[in-house]
Amino acid sequence: MTVPAACATDTGSRSGAVLRAAAPGARRARRREVLAAYGLLAPASLLVLGLLAYPVLWEGWISTTSLSAQGGAPTFVGLANYRRMAADPFFWRATLTTIVYFAATTGAKLVLGLAMALLLARPARGRALVFLAVFLPWAYPGGVTVVAWYWMLNPPLITSYSLAVGQLKHAVDAVLGPGAYAFASVALFNVWRGASFTAIFLLAALNAIPTELFEYAQLETRSPWLRLRHVTLPLLKPFLALAVFLSFTSAFADLANVWMLTGGRIVFPVLGTYAYWLGVRRGELAQAAAWSLALVPVLLAALLVLFRWFDPPEERQA
Amino acid sequence: MRRWLASLRRGLLLAVVAGYSLFPLYFITVQSLKTPEEDVFGSPFYVLRPTFENYTELFAGAAARVRGFVIVPRVPFLLWVMNSALVLALTLALTLGSGVLAAWALGRLRPPGWRWWRRALFATYVVPHTILFIPLYQVVLALGLDDHHGALILLYAAMALPFVVWLLSAYFRHLPREIEEAALIEGASPVTAFLRIVLPMSRNVLVAAGLFTVGTVGNDFMLASVFLLDPDKQTVAAGLGVMDVSLEELVAVAGVNVAAVPVALACALFARTYVEGLTAAMVEGA
Repeated sequence: MTVPAACATDTGSRSGAVLRAAAPGARRARRREVLAAYGLLAPASLLVLGLLAYPVLWEGWISTTSLSAQGGAPTFVGLANYRRMAADPFFWRATLTTIVYFAATTGAKLVLGLAMALLLARPARGRALVFLAVFLPWAYPGGVTVVAWYWMLNPPLITSYSLAVGQLKHAVDAVLGPGAYAFASVALFNVWRGASFTAIFLLAALNAIPTELFEYAQLETRSPWLRLRHVTLPLLKPFLALAVFLSFTSAFADLANVWMLTGGRIVFPVLGTYAYWLGVRRGELAQAAAWSLALVPVLLAALLVLFRWFDPPEERQA
Repeated sequence: MRRWLASLRRGLLLAVVAGYSLFPLYFITVQSLKTPEEDVFGSPFYVLRPTFENYTELFAGAAARVRGFVIVPRVPFLLWVMNSALVLALTLALTLGSGVLAAWALGRLRPPGWRWWRRALFATYVVPHTILFIPLYQVVLALGLDDHHGALILLYAAMALPFVVWLLSAYFRHLPREIEEAALIEGASPVTAFLRIVLPMSRNVLVAAGLFTVGTVGNDFMLASVFLLDPDKQTVAAGLGVMDVSLEELVAVAGVNVAAVPVALACALFARTYVEGLTAAMVEGA
């Protein structure tokens, strides 16, 4: 986009914009504005991109070498680490688990969150209190609740309660396979916290949609399902997409938290935590780098799709 | 009759939602009020003889000592709380400060390519900081922030900024220009117009961005436990995580509550403003 073009769209909604844009003084002012904009962008961009660019590039470079804590000068090995990773059956199992975990938690968070948001959007007695209750799981700091949550599901001491939980754990693992209970306990924690965030987020989105649209829909059909499918969901689409995206990142963070808390005792193979284990515990830095980066292109592709929904390319004229 | 049934159903649903949301918190609180005897023999769902022993234990002192038959590890809990508060406050200041500036540039000044810039900042959200330990640690070392709160503050700000900038710039984009133009015509400088007119107007959305930052900081456990090793510098999350689980389980659970309650109260206080702020940014699309 060139400067004059930006200038034109920018001032398009203002009265007398054409006149002002044509004047040389306005153009100089615009140039100053653009410079100021870059200046204002600098701190945040430095923080976000600066803190991230080096680590990502480093991992990218390392993943093509033979660097390892066992010593030896690293040599360039091309894509050998990636080939080794792809040949590892563990990698594909970990990828599958990661996808199932993301899909299951995100689906549950969206359904639960949407249901709670729709429930809270209509006036009812006691709504204010329930609203606060829904807000609390997210507001209660997850970094510390994870401690309590984990001990609730995996009690460390032998008590009457831990015996009951132990039986439950064996029952679940017997039906769904080993590790299923651990998987479910992390997923539950993430859904409990994440659905709270999604509910509040979608509630805000529902508030942002003009009520007339819902009133028209009320005239069109009496079926609440049809209204949900043809009116509410399409209107919410950008926000649902945004919620999906935010859900991905929180799903990973919660998993990492539990994993770290238990000192890696919860082991169902997931890409990120296995990468950490490879790198920090076993010192196979190059292999770990390949594992760490395996997910990033997939997430970026997902993001590009989601951008189409919540940030459409054509400029909306205000 | 049907209206009555419908409102009953709605009430029941609301009750279920509230119960589901609150149960884990209730559960934690019940456990934290138990004596060791009741922890072993009692029911997990209620407490018969509540005690605040686990809570007072948190503040009992910073030296290791013997209690009963076990050596109680050193738990400088007050220090941890203060460290957490410090990290939280500085992260908030850094995130909101740099976030507002960037959002104003993207939402109002709109330099060429602003859309891609906004997307690039947001896209960094994809990369999980939690898997980039080793190179992140190199950055932290290079900045001289090893075992220092500054490392966490920078990282947390970088983690919260993508969404904060997105939210604030969406809001500024829809803010009518006439508002600051009126101030400019009165003779105010752009900076004054921004500080005196625009910022006070944006109170709600700033609260929303702030609460989101609080959530990001509060949610981290992994980075805190990796980057802060000195017990005197740890935050609550990092400290509780390394407590000897098997011996002091209930004290740690009590610690969870003590640390979380002020944050949760502040969030509850601003919950309505949070929703209003998000809504303000969402009107006319994200």
